[in-house]
Amino acid sequence: MITRSRMWLAGLIVLAAALTLLKIPVASSQGVTLVAYQVSEDLPVNDPDSPLWRRVTAVQVPLSAQAVARPMTLGTKVQSVTARALYDDEQVAILVEWADDTQDDSMVRVQDFRDAVAVQFPLVEGQPFFCMGQQGGDVNIWHWKADWQADIAARQDMETLYPNMHVDQYPFADSNAGLAAGPATYTDPNYLPALASGNLFATAQHLSPVEDVIAGGFGSLTAQPAEAQNVHGYGVWKDSRWRVIFSRDLTSQETADAQFATDKVYSVAFAAWDGANGERNGQKSTSQWVSLQFGGPVPEAVSEPALVTRTVEVGPLAFVPAVVITLLIFGLAGGALIVFERSQRK
Amino acid sequence: MNRLPVFFRWLIVASLADWLIGRTFTRSAIFMPKSPLVIGIYQTLGTVGQVAATLTDLLTLGALIWIAWHERRTRSARALPLALVGLMAFNFASLFAAPSGWFAVARHLLTLAAVATLAVRIGMGADRASRKIAAVLPALAILSGALYQTGIAAYQALRVPDLPVFARALFDTGELLVVLSPVLLWWTDRPTVRGNRSAYVLAALPAIAFAALCIANPSLSGILSIWSIGLTLYLPWPLYAVSLWLAGVTVIASLRRHDPAGFAIVLLAAGGYAPQLSTHVFLGVIAVWLLASAGEARAVASTPSPVNEVQSSIVPQSLVTEGTGP
Repeated sequence: MITRSRMWLAGLIVLAAALTLLKIPVASSQGVTLVAYQVSEDLPVNDPDSPLWRRVTAVQVPLSAQAVARPMTLGTKVQSVTARALYDDEQVAILVEWADDTQDDSMVRVQDFRDAVAVQFPLVEGQPFFCMGQQGGDVNIWHWKADWQADIAARQDMETLYPNMHVDQYPFADSNAGLAAGPATYTDPNYLPALASGNLFATAQHLSPVEDVIAGGFGSLTAQPAEAQNVHGYGVWKDSRWRVIFSRDLTSQETADAQFATDKVYSVAFAAWDGANGERNGQKSTSQWVSLQFGGPVPEAVSEPALVTRTVEVGPLAFVPAVVITLLIFGLAGGALIVFERSQRK
Repeated sequence: MNRLPVFFRWLIVASLADWLIGRTFTRSAIFMPKSPLVIGIYQTLGTVGQVAATLTDLLTLGALIWIAWHERRTRSARALPLALVGLMAFNFASLFAAPSGWFAVARHLLTLAAVATLAVRIGMGADRASRKIAAVLPALAILSGALYQTGIAAYQALRVPDLPVFARALFDTGELLVVLSPVLLWWTDRPTVRGNRSAYVLAALPAIAFAALCIANPSLSGILSIWSIGLTLYLPWPLYAVSLWLAGVTVIASLRRHDPAGFAIVLLAAGGYAPQLSTHVFLGVIAVWLLASAGEARAVASTPSPVNEVQSSIVPQSLVTEGTGP
């Protein structure tokens, strides 16, 4: 029997389906938001010490070990990153900081792994899986690599670590180059297949320490072509802390790139690797999605506080402060209750 | 729930579908082999989950409007209806202008005001002390999560280039309160094993499944938990398993005697902890209102006097239950 309430329910379901199909939201976001502030001067894309960064509010983003796809390291070291963002009329810049006791910026030896950090943006409406996206939910990832950063300053090779090594000859390279033989000295680049095929890892000279990649689930990570690599990066390790700046034009010609309009809210997620802990590829710490919003002008400097250096340590006794606060709440609430009930009896 | 508007029942079902299908089951798709059949099934389920989520959005707004109207009509309340209407206004405004700065702070403060008002009402009510503590615990959990978010928003509004003090401790405190809430709600009534054997057995199934997942793959259970309900599982996992079990027992036992505590737990679970969406915040507010109103209704029912005739109109009659506890 069709009652009035059932008709109401049917109407509501139809309305809900229509709103869903037309992508008209009824609920709004209420989570943590990374606000990018507008600057009129040049963006400090190579200067993490710039006063501009000190004037914008940081957001601390908790990370946890990637534990879905193998190989995984459950005891990852980076437990949170601190993020700030700035933008001007053309570009957006994101400063990411995290604590790391060691500077691991060499991948020359097979037993060495690099420190790295990545920011990720959905390429679809909504939020796909926060770790590398999912089928039908591609993500654009900016992956900063400490060894690429070091390579820009001075390219590292075997002789960097083993200066006394001896090589008779590098075949197919200019014999006069000797130990200094590098990709540029090869007479025919086809003898360096990775370089010839455009593999960014084999590039003789990295133009940016950031690799611009896309993914649509585990095992689908794909580097954009060399000519589409358009993310600038700069990282510094100091006082047991990495500070890395990503920057890119707000809009891009590449379809595989995230596009930013300053009147919209986007999602961003973070990942970090500690090379000293053997973290590489899927062995990393990842965050959930955080909202990224383009806000107003950067505030005027009132003071010059130091950049945040506090870190959150999550040890086995991490719940002790929570237990103490809970007991305090119970004590106060219980006390208030007793006082109130006594006053009622009187 | 019998005499509450019928859409409260729809809200329970829709929020359960949103939570279990849209935010939990479909997300397990990332672990599945991606054959076309599996993809098709999960895409269909995903669409069902999205429709359930939108339906929950609509019903939540309807429930809030009804509560505001009911509060104004029956007890001439001003603060709570204003706070609820304000929350809805902020929700709609946030659809057009991204919430940031003082706008975001005001929105969080309004949430705090609404939940705090209800918490005070529970605390000052004439219900048993143990019931009051049990009912106020979920409100405190919501307050902790909301305070955590308010701190971040306030620092951004004040342009303080630092992180909120005690943010992590506050967040962890809220999670501890979330875990304790079902335990205390169960303790206040303590459904007998003899009379509720099936409830204890049925409720044990998800708790055992959760424990097995924690033992087999602790990090995986953590990711699923964060993604579906917002809990980080930083406490020892047996606590969560016990809490889940007792929550299940309380829900089933409450459903049998039409006690809204069970519905409140379902709404709290569907809303999750420190939620990211306005609808999930509203689910928490509605759940606490149900607990507060149920406490008042019990107190009215247990003190027979002519005044009760008047007072009983303040709370929906469906919330008047005697309970089975000691």
